Amino acid sequence: MVSLARTLRSIRRVGLKEWWRQLQYIGDAKSGRFAGADQFGNRYYENLNPEEEIPGRHRWVDLAQHDYNATQVPPEWHSWLSHIRKDPPPEDRVMQNLSPPWKGPWLENLTGTPGAFKTYNTTVPKVQPWQPKLMSRGGPSA
Amino acid sequence: MTILRTLMGSGPSSRLVTTRFANAGPSTLIARRLLSTTSARSMPTREPPKGSEVYETPDYLRPPPTPRSPPLSAKYEGAVDPYHGGPSAIEKAVHIFFFTEIIRGMWIVLEQFFRPPYTIMYPFEKGPLSPRFRGEHALRRYPSGEERCIACKLCEAICPAQAITIESEARLDGSRRTTRYDIDMTKCIYCGFCQEACPVDAIVETQNQEFSTETREELLYNKEKLLANGDRAEAEIAANLHADHVYR
Ligand code: SF4
Ligand code: SF4
Repeated sequence: MVSLARTLRSIRRVGLKEWWRQLQYIGDAKSGRFAGADQFGNRYYENLNPEEEIPGRHRWVDLAQHDYNATQVPPEWHSWLSHIRKDPPPEDRVMQNLSPPWKGPWLENLTGTPGAFKTYNTTVPKVQPWQPKLMSRGGPSA
Repeated sequence: MTILRTLMGSGPSSRLVTTRFANAGPSTLIARRLLSTTSARSMPTREPPKGSEVYETPDYLRPPPTPRSPPLSAKYEGAVDPYHGGPSAIEKAVHIFFFTEIIRGMWIVLEQFFRPPYTIMYPFEKGPLSPRFRGEHALRRYPSGEERCIACKLCEAICPAQAITIESEARLDGSRRTTRYDIDMTKCIYCGFCQEACPVDAIVETQNQEFSTETREELLYNKEKLLANGDRAEAEIAANLHADHVYR
């Protein structure tokens, strides 16, 4: 249960359909400024009005996948969502300038799936198994 | 509560007592004290035998006057009787037997019911993290794409948990690079010494804390995994270092 006035205000702002979606995922009616969307279709919102959202709950994400997971948020937005950066990535000049061209694609935590990381050796093995070598009957001199 | 406060505020002036010890009768309960804490010289002395030379004790040798506890009935200036004007015993008993405290507590709960909840709905909302937060490790690259680590092994040396294992070789172009850079994330205590020790900012701890796995094996990171972590989080890492560089 939430504050009735806040719930009604949010429903009036976001519409019944969006409110139903929020109830399925966030479990609370929230409304605020649309800060942007990432490459996966997750949408990010912000409401800095302390009368409407409790400070600390003022940034939230509407995750695109039904099977949602905290790691579906890419690092740039993770930085914003965790209140590390003030501006969302589309407005954050520092973050944009520091994005290298060789930036790798973000993957969510794939544990429990076939894509999970399995460690392996990156060096030549130091212990070689014995290799049987066949010599000719006549010996090396023959 | 307000009534009680006004009563207490007006109380002292009306109960000023002129004499300091109004009722200085022997109060054995209060005056009782341990012998060990009592100065022996303050004990009552016997009369000296007749005709003996009486040595007059000089003032500076006399014991200080014995501190005596005031009698129970003594009143000081400005003293407040904490029970005066307060609820009577019957009133208190009524509050206890009719559970008024519980009902008042339940009322607070009911009020909270109509207020916006404080609960942070993870993973949709998250608590604040610092740019210095020490989470999952990553190996960084220079903007050109060249890997930073020069295999100096300072991080391996400083790691208090001995979680890092490094082996190095000369690359074809002659530069020294690691062939093995393993971090056992199950041994790591996330102290951040490795990123402090690194002369080229190669090993860093990213702000990612959501790398929990189902099996232990997945937490034995090797160089490829660490480089991949760095590649995908480079913008965030660099922005954090930029935010923090003025304090370092
Ligand atoms: S954070 Fe500390 S324990 Fe973990 S690898 Fe670095 S130095 Fe070792
Ligand atoms: S990560 Fe840094 S400290 Fe560790 S071996 Fe590489 S260059 Fe040296």
